[in-house]
Amino acid sequence: MCEAPRIQRRLIRRGLSLAPLSDPSCHPGAEDDVLPADRPNAEIIPLVALVGPPNSGKSTLFNQLTGLRQKVANYPGVTVEKHVGTVRLPDHRALQLVDLPGTNGFAARSMDERITRDVLEGHVRGLRAPDALVLIVDSTRLEPQLMLVEPTLKLGIPTLLVLNMADELEQRGGAVRDDELAERLGVNVVRTNARDGDGLDQVRDFLIGVADRGLLPPRPCPALSNVVTSTPLPMVDQFTERRRRIKEISRASGFVLPRSSQLTERLDSLFLHRVWGPLIFLAVVVLVFQSIFTWAVPLMDGVHILVAGSGAWVAERLPDSWLRGLLIDGVWAGVGSVVVFLPQILVLFLFLGLLEDSGYMARAAVIADRTMYRVGLQGRAFLPLMSGYACAIPAILAARTVEDERDRLATIFVTPFMTCSARLPVYALLIAAFIPERRLVGPFLGTRAATLLGLYILGALTAIATAAILRRTLLRGPRDSFFMELPPYRIPSVRSIAIRLYDRSRIFLRRAGTIILAVAIVLWFLTQVPQSGGSPPSIDDSLIGRMGQMIEPAIRPLGFDWTIGVGLISALAAREVIIGTLGTLYHVEDPTQGSLQLQDALRGHLDLGAAVGLLVFFAFALQCTSTVAVMRRETAGWKWPVLQFGYMLTLAYGFAFIANWLI
Amino acid sequence: MDITLREVVELVRIDLPEDQMEPLLERGLLPGCQLCQVRRSPSGDPIVMVDGTLLAIRHEVARCLCVRRPGSNGA
Repeated sequence: MCEAPRIQRRLIRRGLSLAPLSDPSCHPGAEDDVLPADRPNAEIIPLVALVGPPNSGKSTLFNQLTGLRQKVANYPGVTVEKHVGTVRLPDHRALQLVDLPGTNGFAARSMDERITRDVLEGHVRGLRAPDALVLIVDSTRLEPQLMLVEPTLKLGIPTLLVLNMADELEQRGGAVRDDELAERLGVNVVRTNARDGDGLDQVRDFLIGVADRGLLPPRPCPALSNVVTSTPLPMVDQFTERRRRIKEISRASGFVLPRSSQLTERLDSLFLHRVWGPLIFLAVVVLVFQSIFTWAVPLMDGVHILVAGSGAWVAERLPDSWLRGLLIDGVWAGVGSVVVFLPQILVLFLFLGLLEDSGYMARAAVIADRTMYRVGLQGRAFLPLMSGYACAIPAILAARTVEDERDRLATIFVTPFMTCSARLPVYALLIAAFIPERRLVGPFLGTRAATLLGLYILGALTAIATAAILRRTLLRGPRDSFFMELPPYRIPSVRSIAIRLYDRSRIFLRRAGTIILAVAIVLWFLTQVPQSGGSPPSIDDSLIGRMGQMIEPAIRPLGFDWTIGVGLISALAAREVIIGTLGTLYHVEDPTQGSLQLQDALRGHLDLGAAVGLLVFFAFALQCTSTVAVMRRETAGWKWPVLQFGYMLTLAYGFAFIANWLI
Repeated sequence: MDITLREVVELVRIDLPEDQMEPLLERGLLPGCQLCQVRRSPSGDPIVMVDGTLLAIRHEVARCLCVRRPGSNGA
């Protein structure tokens, strides 16, 4: 236990501005939401924590109450995992609402549980101990969900119990008397259907009460635990005791268990069918990929036209000066080559959001579990690995739902081998430049598509092999007893998904506007010095050219010259940056992956063997400092990121060398 | 004991180490609870219903669940 706050604080100090995918509400921060604890002069407003088991509609309620007034900021005090929003009451007073990850208990097995516990106990620097709690449960699964209620009430904080999905309870013939329940539990109880906004006024009434009461005085907070350690009873008996009390309360409150959901039964008999289940699973995976690589393309073209058009517009209006060079060759080329991927990432997150909120993702995890188990992972790793095809960073955060620590580390470690969308433009450029298009299988599969597919398979196979090796070496140990709760199928809330996509866009654009922008500017600057007689040097004589020539001996064996070397170094900021870099180095005007000029220039610098080597290098190398940073945070130390960087670089160098030597 | 699909049985005990047992306990899979296997996953692992909650468990774990028919004394 004493370890948790320390890790927590360490996690907090490194705030990367990306929020977990697993938690349906990732809310990047803005400056106006600096927490009172960090701004001593500001008025301190009460903090309300939103707690509940997964799939209880917690984030939907959070979104309903806060709308777009929700943020996560990356300064000490608030971590990405603390989704803090502001609730404006009708009388214009404000409350802070923190949306905690869904948990079933406080054993602190998983990162999510640890975070929830620390926030509730007030152990998080910069976040006051909550002044009130809103506990939300799915009333169709009331009894098991109430298991979370009892330890939470022991905290002695004013609490509102929200019985969500109350309409579904009644439709399926269930019932509960909330007044009785309130009396027996000693808390206020309201019924809601958070999705439709029913009952939210009563939640707001409770919040008005919280605002009236103001801040709770500082208090020694009792430690949260599933099990009260002072009692001599074994754990099972303590749970059985709690269960007995809950049964008693629910019986006295007239709780009638609803009939099982017909919809869920019918859909499960299809989605978990012996034959159809796996087929539908494959179809869903194919559909998601298809959507990323074909349907997102027109949107990406649209963004590209916008970026190029606006660049040209600016270029026309500026005199030929260093400023124009910086803006056009630096900023537009560098940032533009990354912003193009926004539609692709959004399409992926749209699908992942639909799959998660509808309840299908849990079924997919069950179907994938046996296969994943064989390679040393488990079903819950399916979602992170799938997300890894968009970006390793949210994927690594999503791995928090993997409860077993060894499984989680293995999942995190192999995630960067999944072909993320930042590799795609690099692959597309190199394939277009070096692989002639020929038909392989009828009209469907050409050499280029096959090469791309091959690179995806190469990444996936390496991930599998790596997981298997890890489980037999560094992460050897007993296997987790995997199980998965299958929530009832539900229609996803458009609002929740829209807010998530909006957040994703903000996070992505902020990255493009900071890290990638900085790299683009620095790089452009390095091509401009040392100036001789007021004009920039030739690229070979520039500072970047000299730096490249210094590292050239190290990459010569791979068939790369210094320009590629500079590209590889700049790609450490983000993989796709290499395109803009090479564009700048080769003086190409429109450095996007479709640029014929850039392809020609590349053919002058690489032969086929080296080009294949470069493809392989990108398939393996951990060319992404953001991933390293998020790894460090999620594993609470440098050991894993350093090991991973070394491992992936060794593989990349080794296989690129072999490719260059063979071809 | 062979349990047919849809048959309601009572959980007697869980033969798992405490740390592996805890998440199951949290979700209401406790000695004394009634559970019923509603279907099998495509890989043959059981999916059980406990108090309105569906849980998919690996058959290795399911084997550690000791159950009896309600009313009977034997496990």
